[in-house]
Amino acid sequence: MSGIQVEGLSKTYRRGLTGERVRALVDVSLTIAPGEAFGIIGPNGAGKTTFLGCLLGLLRPDAGRITIDGHAPDDLAIRAVTGYLPERLVLDRWMTGHDFLAYHHALARLSAARRRDEVADALDRVGLGGEAGQRAIRRYSRGMLQRLGLAQAMLGRPRYLFLDEPASGVDPAGVVLFRRLLSELARKDVTVILNSHQLDQVERVCDRVAFVKAGRVEAIETVAAGATHARVLRVRAADQAIGARVTREQLAALAVSAGAELAGLDPPEARFTVADDAGAARLLQTLIGAGVPVAEATPEESRLERLFLDAPGDARTKGSA
Amino acid sequence: MNPTLVTTLWRQRLTSPVRVAILAALTGMPLLGVAFMPAAGLGLLGGAQGLILTLGAGMIGQDLSSGVLQLLFARPVRRPEYVVSRWLGVGLAATAVSLLQLGIACALLAGRGAVPTAQEIVMFGGGRLLESFGGAAVLALFSSLIGGFGDLGIYLLVNLGAGIVQMAGQVKQWLWLSRAGAEINAALTPTIDLMRLVTATPMPWFPIVSYASTVVLCLALAIVVINRKEFSYASG
Repeated sequence: MSGIQVEGLSKTYRRGLTGERVRALVDVSLTIAPGEAFGIIGPNGAGKTTFLGCLLGLLRPDAGRITIDGHAPDDLAIRAVTGYLPERLVLDRWMTGHDFLAYHHALARLSAARRRDEVADALDRVGLGGEAGQRAIRRYSRGMLQRLGLAQAMLGRPRYLFLDEPASGVDPAGVVLFRRLLSELARKDVTVILNSHQLDQVERVCDRVAFVKAGRVEAIETVAAGATHARVLRVRAADQAIGARVTREQLAALAVSAGAELAGLDPPEARFTVADDAGAARLLQTLIGAGVPVAEATPEESRLERLFLDAPGDARTKGSA
Repeated sequence: MNPTLVTTLWRQRLTSPVRVAILAALTGMPLLGVAFMPAAGLGLLGGAQGLILTLGAGMIGQDLSSGVLQLLFARPVRRPEYVVSRWLGVGLAATAVSLLQLGIACALLAGRGAVPTAQEIVMFGGGRLLESFGGAAVLALFSSLIGGFGDLGIYLLVNLGAGIVQMAGQVKQWLWLSRAGAEINAALTPTIDLMRLVTATPMPWFPIVSYASTVVLCLALAIVVINRKEFSYASG
């Protein structure tokens, strides 16, 4: 069976001298299809990194079963096609960036004959080509480390890519680069498992997203690119126009003519439901065309943001397991 | 054995200036003695204990505490393969430095017209080889138990403890206690007295079995310890 299957996964840690039990994962079951970009979001301490650790075979679950392409996650055949970028990235600081990638290229049992070219290519892809690649890792900035980490994860074109907060500490240009690389990978049938607090990144890259809270998968949302999702656009007009000069009925009619819907009115603002970005543009065009002095139009938080914001803060379950 | 892991260990060891300086001192000082003391022979070079500790300290513990193992074990590398490669890396490096030292010592002695016999050279080289791999196995076990350079601490503590036990046995004239201390001390750097091995009849099997079992036991325990570890900061 291809893809990732997780059935009844539970994991408990013992903490401190008293051996207090902390339940990090509770009966998690899900399936990730081959080539799917799957996001994991949730508050701090929800069990996301533990989940990734179990998928990678670095942590031993107390109960449950994980198979990747029908194999155990620590099977060498699976590891040979796996790339991993941990959140707390620790690299061999005494190496140069180039040496580090060459080292992981060898560990991944990739062709020695192609090593030089593939390492140079990997460095170029993350913007560390030339002198930067020859610099000792201990002289790298946080963002450069993260770029190098992503380069090592992508070595050898893995079929499964596990990324834990990949854009953490990366500058805006790096974030855009990361997003582009991840989107490319997702298009190339690489199964991407992305754990990130950057919800916009998750929403842009992933096909589905699991919301994890207190060690449980609370919801799995489909956010695939191309899928149509209603969005709410908040529009504010100048001169108190909305509610005074432009009535609710007029706004509703204008919305319908633009293929949108009036979701609410709270002068001087109105909320509209639109199908997508194009629908939002159409609505604004219609409103302006009808003489509504639009001063500001902002999208309300995405579904993922709402999902996130509705959850309580630290949610790790404590108690007997 | 994984050649990538072995060669990376060597490079890692050689990038530490402190380690290289200690290594140079441990190798060079006895050679100065050989060069300038008229009666000196190969015996002045002493054992390989210092070399093993210098090259091997933190052989696994450094990786454990730095956190690089979660990336390493996400690669197609078996944990026993990692432990054995670290052991081989240290053993080979200590042997190589020993043989280099032996070669220079022989050249210095030859310059004085006191060339060691072939048997002496083989016995010394073979002894250093056995000592290097034996000591590296013990250090691999200690290093798997504790992060950083904690293995060095354990080694020195056991060494000190064994010395105290041995001394207490001598003071009290309790032969068994003295022997226990000596055995513990010997277990820290397992080796075989090759001269006795080739000259005694019948050939004594006990030192061979004892050496092999110590090395295998240490490596097996180190592998068990590493196999049981979880490598994710979430578990820390």
